[in-house]
Amino acid sequence: MMADSPMFWRIVRRLITANYGRLFVILLALGAGAAVTAALLNLQIDAKKRLTTEFRALGANVIVAPRAASDTANAPAPTTLSQSVFAQLPTESEGKRIPAVAFLYVIGEVAKSGTLHIEPAVIAGADGQGLTEIRPGRRTEINAALENDPSSCEVGAKAAAQFKLHPGDSLQLRNQGREASCKIFAIIATGGAEDTQIFTKLDTAQSLANLPTRISLIQLSVTGTPDSVKRFIAILGERLPNADVHGVKQFTEAEGRIYTRISGLLSATVLLVLLLTSLCVMAGMSNVAIERKNDVGLMKAIGGSVRRVVRLFLAEAILMGIAGGLIGSAFGILVSIWLGKAVFGVAAQPRWIVYPFSVALTVIVSIASAFPLRRLASVRPASVFRGEA
Amino acid sequence: MFLRLVADSFTRRPKRKLLTMAALALGMALATAALSVSLDIGDRLAQEFRSLGANLLVTPLADSLPLEIGGVDYRPVNAGAYLPEADLGKLKTIFWRFNIVAFSPMLQVPVFASSEVDNSTQASKPVELIGTWINHDVKIPDGTIYTTGVEKTNPWWQLKEGRWFNESSGDKSSPNSGNVEAVVGEKFAQRNGIKIGSNLEIVKTLLSAVEFPVKIVGIVSTGGPEDDAIIVPLTFAQNISNEPGMYRQLYVSALTKPEDAFARRDPKSMTPVEFDRWYCTPYISSIALQISEELKGTDVRVIRRVAEGEGNVLTRVRTLLWLVTFAALLAAALAVGASAAASVIERRTEIGLMKALGAGSGLVGVLLAAEQLLLAIVGGGIGYAVGILFARVLGMKIFGFAPEPKLFVLLIILVLAAMITLLGSALPLRKASRYEPAPILRGE
Repeated sequence: MMADSPMFWRIVRRLITANYGRLFVILLALGAGAAVTAALLNLQIDAKKRLTTEFRALGANVIVAPRAASDTANAPAPTTLSQSVFAQLPTESEGKRIPAVAFLYVIGEVAKSGTLHIEPAVIAGADGQGLTEIRPGRRTEINAALENDPSSCEVGAKAAAQFKLHPGDSLQLRNQGREASCKIFAIIATGGAEDTQIFTKLDTAQSLANLPTRISLIQLSVTGTPDSVKRFIAILGERLPNADVHGVKQFTEAEGRIYTRISGLLSATVLLVLLLTSLCVMAGMSNVAIERKNDVGLMKAIGGSVRRVVRLFLAEAILMGIAGGLIGSAFGILVSIWLGKAVFGVAAQPRWIVYPFSVALTVIVSIASAFPLRRLASVRPASVFRGEA
Repeated sequence: MFLRLVADSFTRRPKRKLLTMAALALGMALATAALSVSLDIGDRLAQEFRSLGANLLVTPLADSLPLEIGGVDYRPVNAGAYLPEADLGKLKTIFWRFNIVAFSPMLQVPVFASSEVDNSTQASKPVELIGTWINHDVKIPDGTIYTTGVEKTNPWWQLKEGRWFNESSGDKSSPNSGNVEAVVGEKFAQRNGIKIGSNLEIVKTLLSAVEFPVKIVGIVSTGGPEDDAIIVPLTFAQNISNEPGMYRQLYVSALTKPEDAFARRDPKSMTPVEFDRWYCTPYISSIALQISEELKGTDVRVIRRVAEGEGNVLTRVRTLLWLVTFAALLAAALAVGASAAASVIERRTEIGLMKALGAGSGLVGVLLAAEQLLLAIVGGGIGYAVGILFARVLGMKIFGFAPEPKLFVLLIILVLAAMITLLGSALPLRKASRYEPAPILRGE
């Protein structure tokens, strides 16, 4: 092969360029396969990560509460935590910010300023980053100008309906002789217990309850796979020996189950698509290859050994595989970036490991589909030229 | 003669036709599997999401504000409004009745409990008593019986020991005669040393003389406030609170369509046609409206965190699966088209011969198209069967449930197969129709 190397490559070149129609068809099939492979693999890795973020629409999934006192004779008066615990919380996990909000709940008498309708309601003092992520809901009315007012508060939809409140109204809060007032900046509908609560700044609730620097609990919304959330809970539990750190079982459990299902579904579908795509491309390519009878017949007639003929076609297949793979995979990765944007609103990160992998897969498919050519070894040149099939 | 020519082309070169068919069948199997999974998995996933629990909460419309902290309502028993349990069967008569997966009413009563072990009354502790359904038979107005309860609405309530109570346990006419079964939360059990088989005495207030004995048959773990509570049959809680046939909160778990821009519009601002479309789509908001129409005097609220979490993930996964399906279809189409094109390109001699013998370009085209169509139908059919098999395996592996084979998928697949093969061979065929027979036959 060494001596006739230039000749060998010349024949290969002629094989490839002799028929542009066929060249186009082969590259299209291989390229499409490679593009699908690259796009799906890249998107798959990204989608699983994104899903964990999507799950955070469920709100808080970890709660730091006081340890239940052994003496429960006074159970309805809830035990509290020191506010210093809040400062000990990590602000991020695995590079993702963790929204965390400390709450202090007080039952107090509430009235809209200037009215006589007084009714007890739960006042939730909140402090921390990401209240909207901790407590997902919809603000039905909002007066954005008041949002940063130090004495502003947010009212649950049910409570707002009860007191006929709208943004801009003032609210009188009272508990055991201590009084406070706040200005409403938004009405929030969550569908849960929060709908009946009044959200004030933490220090307002603390002074109402006469519990300075105390909090009832902390809610966190930790992003991550079910396992990494579990690890986070375990680590935080060790760091805060005086508090009870636990997951919200309703969400953590369902999340785990759904996540396993979805990621299993994605992997299985992608695997199935890859397998069938490869087989399909292979069958299509074999069909193209088998049409080369005449070429084989001619080569044999002028003295090419079977081994050399097969080598020629293998070289052609590898070159085609590389070309189709390089073009197709690059295209596929580009497509997956765009798809990530279409599905999750965030462009998928290109992962370069996908590129060589899908090129390699394409080359393998291309070589495998050249295999029927081995059968051409039995081609008798004479019968080919006579036009017998 | 036409049919003979077509049949001849198959029998003369069976291997080549077999390969084209294999490519086609594999491509169509891929398309079938991807389509079946995409069509079916949305529903299956929506079911899966119901393990998040209820997405609708029904409370009395005219009510004092619940003083709820961490799941415990601190209102006195005599404050606030109640709803009649007898109406609940109507839930299964709304337009989207089959989308109501489960519901369970709750009645919470603050009580005092003392265990019989230390017979002294000093051990009385305030505790939350939750009356609810576990697996309750509800009579639907159309005469059927529907079984539902917290086992379905709150699947994360898991028994650690023992079993759920029997809802008809105890004597209905004299509820304090004993034998009523109850389940306690794990923290409560641990703190008070309660075991399965223990007896508890429950009183409404410390001054009350009437004691209600219950027998503990199970210990439950919920990760929520119920871990500190006693869970009893709804009728028992009604008796203690003296509100027979009433409940305070109803949790409804419904299968819904994720909200889109249309669903977020205010129904009041819709035209009658739009309103009908909205009403007849299982959006969570339209189901909420239908429930409040059936259950008078209620306020039906969407539990946003559940509904939106579900909506977000479902929409994303569905779009993703459709994209995967589309990509699979595209890849299959290109590969099959390539193989179809190849088989025409290489048949120049044959085409030349046919033309030399007097066949027009049209006839040659029709002949080849008929061949391709035959291939498409056979290959598509085989591909459909294989694809259904793949989808079954996939469905069983992931959801333990095989997707139903759908006939219209077969139709789509056959049309698709025919289109791909015809399109794939169209270009080479056009070229072939312009061939001059003489140079081809001469081998030029």
